[in-house]
Amino acid sequence: MTGTDQSSFLGRISIRRNQVNAMEGYHEQEIEDLELFQKQLSDRFAELLSAPDDAPTEAFLSISWIRKLLDVFLCCETECKAILLMERDAAQISKPPLDRLIPELLERVVKAMDICNAVTNGVELVRHCQKLAEIAVSALEQKPFGEGQARRAKKALVSLMSAMHVDDKESSVQKTAERSWSFGRRSGNKDRHHGHYRSLSWQVAKHWSASKQIHAMTMNLAAPRGPEASCLPAPVYILSLIIVFVMWVLIAAIPCQERSGLTTHLPINKHVNWTHSLAGMHDKIGEEWKKKEKKGMAGLLYELQKMEKLGQSLIEFTDSYQFPGEKEKLDEVAAQVAELAEVCRRMDEGLVPLQMLIREAFHRLVRNRTEFLDVLEQGTPVV
Amino acid sequence: MEENHKPATSSSFKKGDDKEESSEVEKPEKETKSEQPQSQDIDDKEKEERAGIKHTLQKSYDDIQTFLSKLENDAEAPDIPDFVHKYVDLVEKKLSKHEPLFQDDGSFLKVVDQISRLYKHLSDSDKAPLINRIGQIQQQAMCYLEDEFRSLLEEPDLKQEVVADQHGEDQSTLDQSKEESNFSGYSYQVIPKLNKIAKEMIFGGYESECCEAYMVTRRNIIDETLNKLGYEKISIDEAQKMQWEALEKNIPPWIKAFKQCTKVYFSNECRLVETVFSGYPSLSTNLFSNIVRGVFLQLLNFVEAVATIKRSTEKLFKFLDIYDTLRDNLSSLDGVLPKWAEELRNEMTTTRCRIGEMAIFIFCDLENAIKSDTEKTPVPGGAVHPLTRYTMNYLKYACDEYKETIEKVFKDHSKIERANSTNKPRSHEGDSEKNKYDDENQSPFVGQVLRILDLLDSALEAKSKLYKDIALSCIFMMNNGRYMLQKIKSSAEIHQAMKDTWCRKTSSDLRNYHQTYKRETWMKLLGCLNVEGLNVNGKVVKPVLKERFKSFNAMFDDIHRTQSLWVVNDKQLQSELRVSISAIVIPAYRSFLARFSGYLDPGRQTEKYIKFQPEDIETFIDDLFDGNSGSMSRKKP
Repeated sequence: MTGTDQSSFLGRISIRRNQVNAMEGYHEQEIEDLELFQKQLSDRFAELLSAPDDAPTEAFLSISWIRKLLDVFLCCETECKAILLMERDAAQISKPPLDRLIPELLERVVKAMDICNAVTNGVELVRHCQKLAEIAVSALEQKPFGEGQARRAKKALVSLMSAMHVDDKESSVQKTAERSWSFGRRSGNKDRHHGHYRSLSWQVAKHWSASKQIHAMTMNLAAPRGPEASCLPAPVYILSLIIVFVMWVLIAAIPCQERSGLTTHLPINKHVNWTHSLAGMHDKIGEEWKKKEKKGMAGLLYELQKMEKLGQSLIEFTDSYQFPGEKEKLDEVAAQVAELAEVCRRMDEGLVPLQMLIREAFHRLVRNRTEFLDVLEQGTPVV
Repeated sequence: MEENHKPATSSSFKKGDDKEESSEVEKPEKETKSEQPQSQDIDDKEKEERAGIKHTLQKSYDDIQTFLSKLENDAEAPDIPDFVHKYVDLVEKKLSKHEPLFQDDGSFLKVVDQISRLYKHLSDSDKAPLINRIGQIQQQAMCYLEDEFRSLLEEPDLKQEVVADQHGEDQSTLDQSKEESNFSGYSYQVIPKLNKIAKEMIFGGYESECCEAYMVTRRNIIDETLNKLGYEKISIDEAQKMQWEALEKNIPPWIKAFKQCTKVYFSNECRLVETVFSGYPSLSTNLFSNIVRGVFLQLLNFVEAVATIKRSTEKLFKFLDIYDTLRDNLSSLDGVLPKWAEELRNEMTTTRCRIGEMAIFIFCDLENAIKSDTEKTPVPGGAVHPLTRYTMNYLKYACDEYKETIEKVFKDHSKIERANSTNKPRSHEGDSEKNKYDDENQSPFVGQVLRILDLLDSALEAKSKLYKDIALSCIFMMNNGRYMLQKIKSSAEIHQAMKDTWCRKTSSDLRNYHQTYKRETWMKLLGCLNVEGLNVNGKVVKPVLKERFKSFNAMFDDIHRTQSLWVVNDKQLQSELRVSISAIVIPAYRSFLARFSGYLDPGRQTEKYIKFQPEDIETFIDDLFDGNSGSMSRKKP
């Protein structure tokens, strides 16, 4: 969505609200705003859903796709908040059922803030993976390709796999109990194991669990019914659902503290138009998660999955490689290496902006929570 | 990649090694001659063998050195002499021994260096199997270096690290030079080793392995170090649910951790990375930023968590401590963080704003608390109201301990209007009222304090109306006004800020209440001593006189009874009141008595109507405002 779309939408609401007092049929206008907003949501999510599953750029769940998702999130969030708060006072947003819905929304916002931080740490881990993959790529690109380089590539790839599969729970500060050395000089054995070192620590806090947070966020998240569906409870639901959905996607895609048992059932009301694409994405990602969870993996991020697949295959290759190798095999591997190099390049390009976007989302959540509280507080009776 | 690498020259190698070589060669002979126990034989044999390798390695090394310089200088690749193969064999053998890396004056590193150079220069030639072998050996060597690098990095002497904690007592006892070599927690021998390994790895093209190992290890070490300071990561969600007492306990360790990081760790980290990766400024900058960014954001997130909890007045001071920590350490950070850290600096400013706003809103909360205190029960005896006590002690503490910080908070954050906000910036009071305190020459904080004092004053005035007795409401106002004045005068910080205007006004208000009180209580009493109507045609009318005495006695009795229950805690105010009461009552009574007592018959009549001597009056006045149920009979001397 372009900036002008949004500013015109916000302008529209603002004009409406300024006319509130003078106008009859105010409620109809609000319904119209809400419908327009839902239409826009529907379009944006449809665009996200239509991303190809496997494409060199902009694939579903790729870094650039997640950046788009976050862009959409930031837009929706601003608009939703405008519908909810612009020119309103506490009296309007603190009467039932909003007196329950808004505090629940704010609690979700708090949890989403933590998730942003957890995912920020996760992105750092992805960057670490990228560096390891780059080592493998540079070793594999050497010509002539010797056994030393094969071993070097394998070492990097094995570290990459273990960094990817680091058990969410084990990522704590404790030292990995046993360390095997590349050279068994301390224990005296000549077993040439690849070093197993501590990976990056990435905790949000002790005992914090991403899946539990998502679970808590989905509690009481129900679509408004009847007359409520066309007034303020509707945007509260929309905003809540989008926050939960986006956070859920981030957790599924990017490594994150404690994801086991992540739910694959978000309470999306499929009977309204605007949620169709959202539900579509949800089902798709949920299926994918169920498949991969059993195997244990770094995340559904397209680039990570690609990296994992290529990594596995290249480990096999390097494992049995003998100099000088067969030309055919080498050519085949060269193609995979080029693909891995491309994945690294996309990470190199995309991870920093992604990191910044996640941070922006965090600050936005912080600020908006404050704004809700401000409006609510202005309504405290002053004697 | 930067190519600052200087290959070891043949001469320097030889120079350093000549002596050693001879001693190493001679050693086995000596040892076999000496009477060593049998068990050492194997050891000796190994040494002998190692010396043997070394001896021939030394020769090959020199040959290779010559060969390499030819290779590096000549455009045409020369044929590969046999000794290259032999050399590679020897190096492989040496590698398989897993000797400690820095034995023999670091000759291992020099060999690795040659292997890397060979690998580089032979890559273009068509001697594929040889290149493959050299590549393998290089890879093994690099693995070995990486392991060594990590294990050296992983074992800093952490005890030394909390050195410059400014509250620490052990700082002065530390030898300056020791601290100098120890800035990173590593001993002075370790850092040059790290540097040599890093150089060799980078030269051999294993820069990424080296950097990742460094980054991950240092990040984990910093994490552990912060942990040891007692700093614990807390999620924002957790902070919401924690009791303030529990959360509060985490703040001092955070302050310590933050100070340590900004004042000590980060600059040490910077020096360490620059030393280990000396000659590779872009690598060290990158590594440093990666290490610091994560730690720094994590520390700021703690503040974000604290800033998300529900505000309340008792939390102000901890917020201000955090604010101070963020503000004071910005300058020490400026020295360490280079340009790339703009992002972190912005993050820090944002976080500081949040905590600063929280502090300001706490004052607004205080205003609201005063405004909404609707307690309808008057304080018994007109004593100082708890609200006055709380507010004044709060303000006094804030001013005594935090005035400078609060002044800064108000200066920097009171005019915050949230950009990108869909609702209006908050205004907490009517604009007209606000203008009253927005004196150009006055700090916003003083304006805030004055606003609170005025609110308190109006609240007290409203509360004084709860007393049915006007005299008592005057005592109430005097008590509270006096309390406020005393608190302000006892704090040099507020007193100075107030510039006396407020004090002068309050003192004058207090005088008015005093006057009203006297009028309400004592002027009425003096009405009984009015001479008018007593003299009719030059004669004293006795029944009227008796009536006057009677009503005086009754009224004084009544005043004594009620006002002894009233409370004036301030001793000075108490005595001022008694003195001023005595000054109007006693002379008037004395002269009335002198003039009219003679008209009563001595004996029973005098006793009946003159219940008080002037001295008694004085004694009874001294009973007033003590908060005791004054019983005259008991106190009567």
